[in-house]
This record gives sequence, C-alpha cells and structure tokens, in this order.
Amino acid sequence: MRLRLAARLKWGERFRRPSRQQLWIAFGYAAAAALYVAIGVYETDFLLSWLVGAMYLLIVAWAVPVVVRRIL
Amino acid sequence: MSWAAHDLEPYAIQRHSRFKIAFVPLLLGSYSPDMMTKWFVYGIHIGHLRLKASDPVQFHRGWPGFGFTHSLLYGVVICLIFWKVLGSKNWGISFMIGQWAHALTDTGDTVGTMLLFPWTHHFDIGAWAYAGQTGRTTDAAAYFSGLGCMWDAVWIFYGLFSWQVLTRSYFEGHVFTADAFWGKLHSFVPMGALLVLYRAAFFYGSSRWVAWTVWAHVIHHFPYDLSWGGPHWVHAAHP
Repeated sequence: MRLRLAARLKWGERFRRPSRQQLWIAFGYAAAAALYVAIGVYETDFLLSWLVGAMYLLIVAWAVPVVVRRIL
Repeated sequence: MSWAAHDLEPYAIQRHSRFKIAFVPLLLGSYSPDMMTKWFVYGIHIGHLRLKASDPVQFHRGWPGFGFTHSLLYGVVICLIFWKVLGSKNWGISFMIGQWAHALTDTGDTVGTMLLFPWTHHFDIGAWAYAGQTGRTTDAAAYFSGLGCMWDAVWIFYGLFSWQVLTRSYFEGHVFTADAFWGKLHSFVPMGALLVLYRAAFFYGSSRWVAWTVWAHVIHHFPYDLSWGGPHWVHAAHP
C-alpha cells in the first residue's frame, strides 16, 4: 500500500498536468497536425520534406494567429 | 532506417541531458547520416534524368559507399571540426550525440550500421525490415507495417509524456539560453516563431507517423506484420 502510494507520488512528480492555456495550445497544434495529415495522405509528396513541414507549421501556428490577432 | 525516430529522439535527449546541450546541432546530428544519401537511395528525377544508386543498400549503409556516415567515428570527426576548427565545443558535442543516436537507432533494421567503422562489420538487431531498395512508397508501407513504426510510436508517446520540453517556458529557460544561435536568430525572428521552429521536428515526426500509418493501412490496406524482422511480405535487405 505504502509502496503503491510512493509510486503514485513519483508518477505525479514526473507527470505534471498541463494548464488550461497549455491545453489550448496543444489543441491548436493537434488541429494543425490533423490538417497536415489530411493533406499528406492525399498528396504524400507533402510529407517528404522537413522544410515544407516546418514552413507549414510556421504559417499555421504562428503567422496566421499573428495576422488574426492584428485584425481583431 | 527510421522514419520518425530521428525527429523525436532529440527531444528525449534534451530532456535528460545533465549538461548544456545545443538543440540545433543535436537535431542536425540526428538528421545528418541521411541528409546526403536518402534522395539517392530512393532516386530522383531531374527533367528526363533519373538519378538513383545502382545498389541503394551498399550506397546508404555500406563501404565503399556512404555507410561511414552511420558510424560513431563520423560523429567524432564532425564534433572535432565544430570544436577545433569552428570553435564551438557545445555544437560539436551536441552534434555528436544526435548523430550517435541516429547510428544506434538504425542498427534496429536488417541491414544495420557500421558502428565501428573503419571496421566494416554491420551491427544489426534485425527487428524490422530494411526496404529502402524497393523505392520510397514500398519502403514507407513496409516500415509502417513492422516493428520500426512501433519504435517510432515509443518516441511519440515518450515525447507527449515529457510535454514540458515543448513548452514556451522550457524553450526560453533551457534551449534558448544554451545556444547563442537562437539569440542571433532572434535579431530577425520573433520569439513566437522561434518557439514554433523548435517544436517543428516533433510536429513533423509525429504528424508524419500518423499520416503514413493512415496512408498504409486505411487507404492501401497493407497488412501489419509485427514479427521480428518483418514485415515479411517485403524483401528485406541484409548487409
């Protein structure tokens, strides 16, 4: 019992729960990933280049939110 | 050959390193053995010209060939160039750690790597089939049907478990401060964009893993074969 409690405490120390804001950020990345996967499955060439992946992410996860924030 | 592990391993290394580590050369090191060779293994078209290695396995992992890029010595040599010639010990050691991770990971397939080059013996665990010689799409289908993709999945889940390394506070507190490169880049690029670039390899590796899995098993229905050395429906290359 004590061992199990200690293990659970250790797990809790190692795995901290993300905050609500961090979950929102993760959700945004997951949505970007879903679109990336959809395009990639349809056109596999899209999946081949790291540079394409990085540019895609830069546009979707940084440039678009910056533009939207400025407009709003 | 691994399709996503080389994107993801640097985040795990970053998390567990007890000394200052530079993320960019760590990632470069993790990619470097395949940077010069993969395109020629699969072949490319330039107009009507088709460029492809006549023996992709020999070219990629063998000697004579570019197999030395998957050896521990290659990492040491590039480390010394960064350290002694370009004056950055941090970049040198970080590069070497990334390159060693790549060379060790690729021992998982049936061809393996010449870890102790110039000794040309191939060290291989043979857990999944090396099928680079069959072309990019067959290789993808085979890789994402065998134990190789499970190995990648381990890194994805480990990365998600260690999500703190992907946060802004971790990036600003550990990654940005460990390497002057980020500071120089920050003169032209905002912090938000740098953070996205830092996360890009994890995004790329994990998203690509999902996409190829969907492509291989939902669109094309290639059968899973998680037996040792599989999938056995593809011709696995050996050294």
